[in-house]
Parts: sequence; structure tokens; C-alpha cells
Amino acid sequence: MGGRLLRAGFLLALLFGASWYAWTAFTELSYLSSAGRLGPGFFPRVIGASLVALLAYSVFVDLQGDWPESAISPYWRTAAVLALLCAVFVGLLDLVGGVLAMVAFMAGSLWFLNRGRTLQNALVAILLPLAMYLVFSVWLKATLPRGLIPLPF
Amino acid sequence: MISKILMFPAFVAALVLGSVPASAQDKYPSKRLDWTISFGPGGGNDIMSRNLISILEKYKLYPGTIVAENRPGGSGAKGWGYVFSQTGNPYHISSTSGSFITTPLQANTPWQPASFTPVALLASDDMLLLVSKDSKIRTLQEFIAAAKAKPPAIGGIGAVNIDFIVPKLLSEKAGFTFNYVSFNKQGELITALLSNALDAGMSNPGEVMGLLQSGDMRALAFSGKSTPKALGNVPTFAELGYEMGVSLPRGLVLPPGVPKEAQQWWIETVKKVVQTPEWKEYIDKQLLTENVLYGEDFRTFLNKTQGAFADILRKSGAIK
Amino acid sequence: MEVLNHLLLGLSVALTPINLAYLFAGVMIGMIVGIIPGFGPAAGIAILLPITFGMEPTGAVIMLAAIYYGSMYGGTITSILLNTPGESSTVASTFDGYPLAQQGRAGPALVMQAVASFVGGTIGVILITVLAPLFSQVTRSFGPPEFFLLVMMGLATLIVMIGGNWRYGLISALIGFALGTVGVDLETGQTRFTFKSAEMIGGIDFIPIAIGVFGLGELYYALYVGLHLKGSGGIVRYDKEQRFWPTARDFIETKFSLVRGSLLGFAIGVIPGAGATVASLMAYSVEKSASPTPEKFGKGAMAGLVGPEAANNAASSGAMVPLLTLGIPGSASTAVLLAAFVLWGLTPGPLLMAQKPEFAWGLIASMYLGNVALLALNIFAIPLFVLMIKLPYRILAPAVILVCTIGTYSVSGSIVETWLMFAAGLVGFFMRLYGFSPAALVLALVLGPLAEQSLRQTLTISGGSFGIFVDRPMSLSILIFTAAIVGGGLLMRRAGRGFKPQ
Repeated sequence: MGGRLLRAGFLLALLFGASWYAWTAFTELSYLSSAGRLGPGFFPRVIGASLVALLAYSVFVDLQGDWPESAISPYWRTAAVLALLCAVFVGLLDLVGGVLAMVAFMAGSLWFLNRGRTLQNALVAILLPLAMYLVFSVWLKATLPRGLIPLPF
Repeated sequence: MISKILMFPAFVAALVLGSVPASAQDKYPSKRLDWTISFGPGGGNDIMSRNLISILEKYKLYPGTIVAENRPGGSGAKGWGYVFSQTGNPYHISSTSGSFITTPLQANTPWQPASFTPVALLASDDMLLLVSKDSKIRTLQEFIAAAKAKPPAIGGIGAVNIDFIVPKLLSEKAGFTFNYVSFNKQGELITALLSNALDAGMSNPGEVMGLLQSGDMRALAFSGKSTPKALGNVPTFAELGYEMGVSLPRGLVLPPGVPKEAQQWWIETVKKVVQTPEWKEYIDKQLLTENVLYGEDFRTFLNKTQGAFADILRKSGAIK
Repeated sequence: MEVLNHLLLGLSVALTPINLAYLFAGVMIGMIVGIIPGFGPAAGIAILLPITFGMEPTGAVIMLAAIYYGSMYGGTITSILLNTPGESSTVASTFDGYPLAQQGRAGPALVMQAVASFVGGTIGVILITVLAPLFSQVTRSFGPPEFFLLVMMGLATLIVMIGGNWRYGLISALIGFALGTVGVDLETGQTRFTFKSAEMIGGIDFIPIAIGVFGLGELYYALYVGLHLKGSGGIVRYDKEQRFWPTARDFIETKFSLVRGSLLGFAIGVIPGAGATVASLMAYSVEKSASPTPEKFGKGAMAGLVGPEAANNAASSGAMVPLLTLGIPGSASTAVLLAAFVLWGLTPGPLLMAQKPEFAWGLIASMYLGNVALLALNIFAIPLFVLMIKLPYRILAPAVILVCTIGTYSVSGSIVETWLMFAAGLVGFFMRLYGFSPAALVLALVLGPLAEQSLRQTLTISGGSFGIFVDRPMSLSILIFTAAIVGGGLLMRRAGRGFKPQ
């Protein structure tokens, strides 16, 4: 049962996004330009309408269809936790700055995936962000995110 | 001049001791300067800032260290937004370019060009009206006559840009209509013009210099107040009776609300910078228009240019 | 013989010790910049631009150009080993490169990519040497109508990309098209789907989407199926028993792919606005439709790796044609190079090659040497990269997320794009799980905006009439050429059916 629900959830999420897209295209963007040619809304409307139609049809067919019921993998939690950690990481970037966020993310995800090897994890969590800092900030002079509190790095 | 000589030992002391003596603290400038570049390395804004910094350093015009930082993102909104947030702090400065005018028109930015403390306009980016070598048109007058007979297709980069504003102003003043063909990148625009898909195109002089020299394109008129030397005898629109009055500003701004002395200090310094041979060389190489305005005159210029942009773009439906 | 004289002049410039040193520095930096996800050649060249100010222009251009084509080699390494494109023109290399690595053929895949890059790059330079003036005429005749027809040929290949499940494939492509419409509408200047955010004015960049959908999507999928529980080796196998070198069969099967990819890539590279990403995606589709076994594509077909690799390298050579012969930038990277020419006091344009032969031909000659150096460098470095994938996946996985995230952020310093990458990762995981087509999504994202723009530009120029496509000689030629290929293909198929009834 779980597999089918998950698939439906994904298709519904896409349908939700597509509906918003189509709604915006139809309400805010005009079909034709002031000169009477293809306007900014022409292609978005075509794309949005097709996408909504196809997704709605897919939700309908796939939910009652004779798909072989695929069970959810027992490891789904691992993938979900890593995705969550990635979200926290992106959220931290502009709060505490790139370097601290990197250390926090590596420490957190290694503690979760590679439990029990504290020394190894600590080393990786410090050395890898340091290497990234050297490559990006020092060598490539690229912008790493800065936090709210100004730090020397 | 005298005050500068008197101030000098204080700066040396500050540098040698590595800290600011109490007596110098009320004298501006006495600290590290943060120079924000709102675009990535290698672009026009970045190159101008790096040139200015190297001139300031070479002639020891700024007594402290200058730290340049690229803060790209959101068509300049991020970098200028950062400088805007440093209200009252005279140790931040930033260079401006075309997006300084256009980004606030297209997105909700907390700042407008006039929000900042203006230092100076140093130069402006202006536009050439170009035709390909296969075109029969040789002068602006011929172009306008042909345009009145049949609306021409004029190409440029982007719809919210000076590339569109200049031909629009011309068409209103000369009384013709045209179809504007908007391109994303310079390469696509130039090939479209060379392939004779367009009747005319707009471009910065720097980007078509080679094609002008080889005769593959002809320049009909220039939108700046004076034509750069390298272009030879291309007339300006104003000389032909069509005053434009809009240019993309390459200047310097400080955060809002900085002390008057700081603004004045920078105006005096910029006056020295624009006299250096290095600055002249930069202007010549990049084929910019030398166009210098200080302080409040710069703010007026920004308001006027942005006003002209907003008017035309509202009429064309690009912005609401 | 004039060409030979030019080339000899070029070699005499390129072979000076100082210029050789710049060349090697350039190829090394290019490799590294290519490997870092998100960080592409345009950013790499721009960042190194300031250090070339005091340099002699020929040495400087040799180094910066080497960064450009060197990154095409480097970008594929992570495509093959981690399913994460190092930069946008190596996305197509993930389609079959990564499955090859999963089957334990990481060694042969990496060697073949180096060979394909070398062949593509070298064929490209030969074409510049011999035919640059001819191709510069092609550039000159490419206006919006011609560009639109070219993009339509590219979009036609979506049919090939969509894969087994047509409904999901079509949905994937439509998502790509939808993402492509975000940003400022080029013609009217109105903003579309931007929430009035300054970060969205420029539209949705290809990089965060590609890194998310391919790199992160695959990573979550690998965790989902439990790869982190295995010891070393993890996601990609590199078997000692499996041979490091490609087999003779790999070469024989892909010899036409090499040539096709190189020619196609060069031709597309010559046209401003299309570039290496479009070239590699189109080359993949061409290989799949030309293959006698299209069903093997996406499951580790060597031709599916070799074609796009040859194409993206040949395209980077092709992009030098408009740059050197007309002073026109065809891509983001050549635009930075063009800015550099001006800073060095040169005037790029049609007269450049005649006025500064030692500069232009020194660069061209150095590209022959650079490609040889990159081939050697790649093959020697392969064991080093393979070490990386011997890490246990439970350590490698967070490291990949880290590099992808920081790489995406650093492209334009945008937290919005970083969130987009994250969202694309989630979508990519489900697309992988349910058999959608990420390839169709990225192809649509790249070509959709180009198609919309060029069509609307064309109609603005013609005043709404489609007659412009047959009025202009070049677009008429493209139409006739396309009709000939399609017609010929249909005839061949019919004839083929006559020979062997099913």
C-alpha cells in the first residue's frame, strides 16, 4: 500500500505545482503581446495546461491501475534523514556562514551514517570543510556564504 | 592641501602602529575600507572597481587598506542591498553600473538608486546605432527617412535596458515606429545583424570595435555626450538634433546617511583619480564616455535616468 | 600551403618554454575547475583573468583557452563516477557513463571519455586550422530564423530522450519547459513566475537543476536501496578483474560515434548561442537514433558516452571560430575571453587574425598540444579518481552533498539557487524511482527558452509571417537538408523492412 501512496503523493505534488504554474500563466501573463504577436503567456499557458492535464490523467490511471505494488524500501529513513540534513545545511549557510555550516553538516550526517567511528568522523568533518574553504575561498576566490555574525573566514 | 600634509603623519602612525590613535579617529578616513562589487569577477563592474582600487593604491590616495569583495547575485541586488544595509557607515563603498537603474525597476529591492549617498559619476556606457555593411543606409537622416517609410527591426540586448530606451527615444523624437527585437547575448545580436535579419542594432562601442574597423558594420550615431576618440567622426545623436540624456552610470556610491565629510572626502579623491593617466587609459580602452558628475549632481542624474527608463518601460508594458 | 606556414608560426610561438608553462598551468586548472560540480569554465576563466593583466597576451590566451577546453575533460569524471555533472556540458555524459561505472567498467569509461575528448578537441582544432574562414561565413548567416530551425532539430531529439514510459517522459519534458520560462520575458521585459525576487530575474539556471536532478537524486536513490550498508566500493564498482583499458570492441563500436560527435559538436559550437551543452545533448540523441541497439542506451552503451564527449570538446573548439574570426562570443566562456582580449589591448574582430597572426595562430597551435597534454593527464590521473570511489559510501555520500551544495552556491552566490538544487534533488529521486526521464527534463530546460526566444524574434522581424523561413537562403537550406535527412531515413527504413521481415 505504501508504495502506491508515495507515488500518488509525488504525482499530486507535481500536479499542485503545475496547477499554480498554469493558474499564474492564465491570470497574470497575456496570451498575445500588445503588437498582436505571441505574448509572454503564450507558451506558459500551453505548457501549463498540458502539464496539468497529463498529471491529472496520471494520478487517475496510476492510482487505480494494475501497477505491480512496489513496497517501500526499508532504508527510506536513511534517504529521508540525509535529505533533511541537506535542507538544514542549506538553511544554515546564510545563518552561520559556509565554513561552520559545512562542519555542522558533515558532523551530523557522519554521526548518523557512520556511527561509532568518532575519531574518523571528527577528522573528516573538520578536514573536508577546511579543504573546501581553501579551494573555493582562497584559491578560486569564489563567494562562500557568510553568516549573520562576521567571522574572519 | 595643507590639511592633507598635516594629516599625513597621523596616517603613517596609524599604519606603523597597526591601530588607530584616538586623535585620528574623528578624521575620515582612518579605517579599513570594504569595497563591494555587486557582480562576479571578470565583468565590466568588476574590472572598473579593480582599476579604481589599483589607482587609489598606486597614488596612495586611500590611507588604509582596501578590501574588495565580489558579492554577486540577483542582478546586483545582493551586493547593493548589502551596502544599503550599512547605513551611516562611511567605510563601505560600491561601484554602479546599468543594473543599478534597471534591477529596482524589475524586482522588489529595499533600495532605489537615489537611496545611496552619491559620490561621483565617473563615466557612462553609451550606445551606437549600427547597420551592417550590406545596408544601403549611410547616415542617421537616411535611417530616419527609411524608418518612416517602413518600420525597421532594431535589435538590442534585453527589453529592460538602454538598448531599448535609446531607439525608443529616437523614434518618439523623430516620429517613426519600429519593431524592437530583444536578444539575450551579444553574440546572438551581432550575428543577427551580420546575417541581415535585422535592419539595425544597438551596441556598446567596445563590443563592436573590430567589426567597425573591418567595415562589416557602420555606426550611424552615438548616444553619449561625446564620441570616444577611437570611433573617429561618428556623430552623437545630440549633434544631429536628438538629445538623449540617458546613460548607464559607472560611478561610486556610499551607504545612505554617511557623514558629509566622508562624502566630501571621496569627491575630492575622485577628482584626483580622474586626472591620472591610468584612468584615462582605462576609459580609452573600454571606449566609455568620460562623463563626470559629483555628489548631488550624480543623484539628480540617477533620478533623471531612472525616470526616463520607468516612463518608457511603463508605456511599453515591461513594468507595471 | 599558407595554412602550413601559419601553423608553423603558431608552433614557434606555442613551443616557447614560457608559453608551454602557461599551457600546462591552464590544462591543470581547467581539469580541476571542470571536476568541481557547479564551477564551470566561464567562472574559472573569469577568476584567473586578473592575474593575466601583466602578462603577454599570447601566453595569457593560451592559458585561459586551456582552462576552457580542459574543463570539458574534467567535467566528465564526476559524471561517470558520481552521476554528478561537473559542469553543464557534461550532463549528457552521465546518461551512459554512470551505468558503465556501475557495471564495473569505470576504468574503460574514463579512458574512453579521455580518448573521445581528445578526438573531438583535435578534430575541432584541425577544422579551425583549415576551414575557419568557411565556418565564419556560417556564423555570419545565422539569424533568429536559422537559429530557431536548429533548435527545433534539437527538440525533435526529445522523442529519443523520452524513453520507455512516454507519459512520464512527456511530463518530464514539460517540467523542463516550464522551468525554462521563469525569469524576465526577453521580448516584453515582463517578469514571469519570479515572485518579484531579484534572484529570479535571470531565470532558473541549468546548473542547480542538473546537479540536483542527477547528482542528489541518484544519491538519495542509492541510500534508499541501502548502498551505505555495504563496505567499500559502494555505488560504483571498480573490479581488479575487470580490465582497466577499454577493449578493442569499445573502439570499433564507437569509431563512427567519435566522428559524428566531433563534426556535430564543432558545427554547433560555431553558432553563437547554442554551445557545448546543446551540442552534447544533441549528440547523445543522434547516437541513440543511429545505433542498431538503442535499447542499450541509458544502460551503459559506450557510444552514448563517446558521442557527447567528442561533441562537447569539438564545440569548445568551434566556439573559437566566431571569437577569432569575427570577435563574437558564442558562449559564456568565450564572452569572458573576449573581455580579456580588450583588457590586453587587442581589438577582437575580423582583422585580428591578419593583424596579430602570432596571437591567433599561437593559440590554435597550443590547442593541439593542450589536447595531447590533457589526454595524457587524464589517463595518468584515472587511478587517482578511482581511489575516491573506493571510499565507503556512508562517508562519500555526505561529502558529495557538501561539494554539490557549495559548488552550486558559489556559481552566483545565490541561496535561492541552492534551495532550487535541493528541491531538484528531491524531484530527481522520485523521477529515478518511478521511471521519469531526467534527460528529457534538462534537454527541455536548455532548448525550450532558446526555441521560444528565436521563434518570437523571427516573428517580430517578419511581422508575423512564417514566409521568412523560405525567404532567407540559409534557413531554406536548413529546411531542405532536414527534409532530405528525414525523407532519406524513412526510405531507408522502408527498404530495410523489405529486406528482413519481422
